[in-house]
Amino acid sequence: MPHALRPARARTGAAIAAVAALALAACSSGGDASDDAATPQDGGTLVYATGDAEPTCLDPHVGGNYPQALISTQYLEPLVGRDADGTILPWLATEWSVSDDQLTWDFTLVDDVTFTDGTPFGAEAVKANVEHLQDPDTGSSTGYLAVQKVESVEVVDATHARFHLTEPDAALLESMSQQWTAMQSPAGIARGQQDNCAAPVGTGPFIVQEWVPQQQVTLVRNDEYVPHDPQAEHDGPAHLDEIVWRFIPDAATRYAALRSGEVQVIDNPQPDAIAAADAGGDITHVDAPRPGSSNRIELNSAQPPFDDVRVREAFVRAADPEPGIETLFAGTATRSYSPLSSVEPTAYGDEELFGTDVDRAEELLDEAGWTATDDEGYRTKDGQRLTVRFPVSTNQSVAAEQSLFEQIQANAKAVGFEVVLTPTDLSAWYAALGANEYEAVSAPYTKVGPDVLRILYHSDGTVPAPSGYFANHAQVRDPELDDLLDRAAATTDDAERADLYEQAQRIVLEGYFILPLYDQQNHFLTRGVTGVRTLDTVATPTFVDARLGS
Amino acid sequence: MTAVVAERRGAPDGGAGRAPGSAGARAAARAGRVLRGLGVPGVLAALAVLWMAVAVLRPDLLAPGDPNAIDARAAFTPPGADHWFGTDESGRDVYTRVVHGAAASLGIGAAATAIGVGAGLVLGFAAGLGPRWLDAGIGRVLEVLFALPTLVLALLLVAVLGAGVEASVLAVGAATAPGYARMLRARVRSVATSGYVEAARLEGHGRLTVLRRHVVPNTLWPLVSVATLGIGQAVVWVCALSFLGLGTLPPSPEWGAMLNAGRVYIDTAWWLTVFPGLAITATAASLTVLGRRIGAVAS
Repeated sequence: MPHALRPARARTGAAIAAVAALALAACSSGGDASDDAATPQDGGTLVYATGDAEPTCLDPHVGGNYPQALISTQYLEPLVGRDADGTILPWLATEWSVSDDQLTWDFTLVDDVTFTDGTPFGAEAVKANVEHLQDPDTGSSTGYLAVQKVESVEVVDATHARFHLTEPDAALLESMSQQWTAMQSPAGIARGQQDNCAAPVGTGPFIVQEWVPQQQVTLVRNDEYVPHDPQAEHDGPAHLDEIVWRFIPDAATRYAALRSGEVQVIDNPQPDAIAAADAGGDITHVDAPRPGSSNRIELNSAQPPFDDVRVREAFVRAADPEPGIETLFAGTATRSYSPLSSVEPTAYGDEELFGTDVDRAEELLDEAGWTATDDEGYRTKDGQRLTVRFPVSTNQSVAAEQSLFEQIQANAKAVGFEVVLTPTDLSAWYAALGANEYEAVSAPYTKVGPDVLRILYHSDGTVPAPSGYFANHAQVRDPELDDLLDRAAATTDDAERADLYEQAQRIVLEGYFILPLYDQQNHFLTRGVTGVRTLDTVATPTFVDARLGS
Repeated sequence: MTAVVAERRGAPDGGAGRAPGSAGARAAARAGRVLRGLGVPGVLAALAVLWMAVAVLRPDLLAPGDPNAIDARAAFTPPGADHWFGTDESGRDVYTRVVHGAAASLGIGAAATAIGVGAGLVLGFAAGLGPRWLDAGIGRVLEVLFALPTLVLALLLVAVLGAGVEASVLAVGAATAPGYARMLRARVRSVATSGYVEAARLEGHGRLTVLRRHVVPNTLWPLVSVATLGIGQAVVWVCALSFLGLGTLPPSPEWGAMLNAGRVYIDTAWWLTVFPGLAITATAASLTVLGRRIGAVAS
């Protein structure tokens, strides 16, 4: 049992040392280590193996991607939580109210929480966090876009913060429930970006102790943890002594480590491993589709050939991803016809638009003027080949998805598209998008609530955030769509909001800006651990209730 | 892999220089000698190489299908009468892909070896026949390059040039050039100071004539064996780069890329990795055997 036999850690509290000593004693006196693993126990080290890209910064305010959300869930907490129905729950904010003009939000904050560096949590901290997100030097994209409509945060008193908005924002609470806007110690932020990236300071159940790049992050228990997580199942600090967060990019290696007992939790498993876990055995499958966008291929409508809707429809009609989704994902993924994740109650889909029709695709390409064919069988127009550059981030796509893209490549070739699939790492992928060197791309985007449509399809989204990232990869610039999204964001009437979002989704779908594939797959496999649950905000796992043993 | 390197580095040096034959009868006699010298394993290896040459030049003769034709619903079909090597995750025929992949893997390997040998020739002859300062300069550069293992050097070059077919060819070629250069320099030196070259010079032939008629042929003949071994090695390097995702782009049926794609299904579909793996092994092995036999015949 590696967790019990690890050498004592430096710089942890006396209590942890005592617990570790107890665990050691228990282990050595018990003799048979497997007995200890049989029943749930306090203490010990949980090893989590992630297949997502290793963050370049552990502070999710900087940039703001899913790998950062995954790990920061263990040490940073948001202002509010959310349940599976989409109802916003209190967390670090206990209650809130909005003014009649919807431009002023008042938050009442908890008064018994301190950051792990001893800084008290309160209105000053909330203000510092929003300012950190909005500071161009932070280089935030996800969090920056989430608080875009916040003009300033006023400190009313220690436990009351007032948000002043430039325009109404019905998505403000959803935005503040995400890890990318989670609360950090102002003193921690003040250390400067380099230090804060290495070890952000939060209020969560664990503390970042050490980060060995390309290898692992060690998180130790926060003994002073005051639980306000609305869905926590137990009161008090976490059961585990520590979490070792390992980076194992290879899915087969990750799965082998899980089966051998070297790690207890893995993410991004292969579909066949998920299917095997579902069939029974000692491996448990946690399925937590990410909120926000579905996984889809976005077609760059700002430049040829996809500036012509007929060419976009031709690509969509020819792609035929259905059979591949069935076989490659072994029944673990369901075809989507919507821009939104199926966990979003406002998701709207239209299967009719996405039926495969090769003849129709050929017709559309003929109509669009791509009538000539070169000696390799690709269509051309004015001497230009019908080429679709498709950079694929191997950090963000499992093997099954990359195979699916190859199938789409082959199907599109049959009607004359040359799809150039280029597997790259994350930084080269960002560079290709930033340089506009793509006609198709699959970019996961997670955000709580349907406001993600504003991020992804509003013309504002073609303008890069301070980090240089722009989220509207389809480069949709449609005043009617902008208006619908603006109105949806400004209304607090749920029915009206849902209706506006439906109209907006219809425009996105009927314009063939995207080819929806399936929900953003977010599966976890666990073995030898209980009490692992995922948040209903951004679907990241939390280990505050987790115990080793089965 | 190391065995091949050892072979390559061990084989060429030494060996008695021989004046080249010029008459047709001599050539025929030499061919007969070569065949006898090859022995049964050598002939088998030569046949395997011949088969691969056909796969490179006319893959449609061996596998008429389209290596990239997908049939998603027929994915993961085990080897059988319809699909000799089974089908992959997209329902593509693995046999057809292995045959068509020869052009990519072997073709790139051969091209890389050509570059490596070409650069090695220039450097080796310059160092072997040039002035002392040039020899010393080239010698120091080669020593630095030798400090890096070939694959690391190739990875470094790919990192600079960017992934792709051209980059793989250049990277593997440049990474193997120092080996050829050093071997050729030693060979040129030993030939240039040998008795028959001395004799030719004393007969009053010009420098260039001596070089053309004696030094070059006697230096290059062992190179045939070394280059044959080198192609086998280069195929392994090329596949390694593709396996790491730095070589050919999808859907190219390159063997290393096929290994990489099949790796995640190794539990459920062994044939995705076994057949491309066997192809790489067979190629490297047959080229190694052939290269060694040629080397033995040459000396």
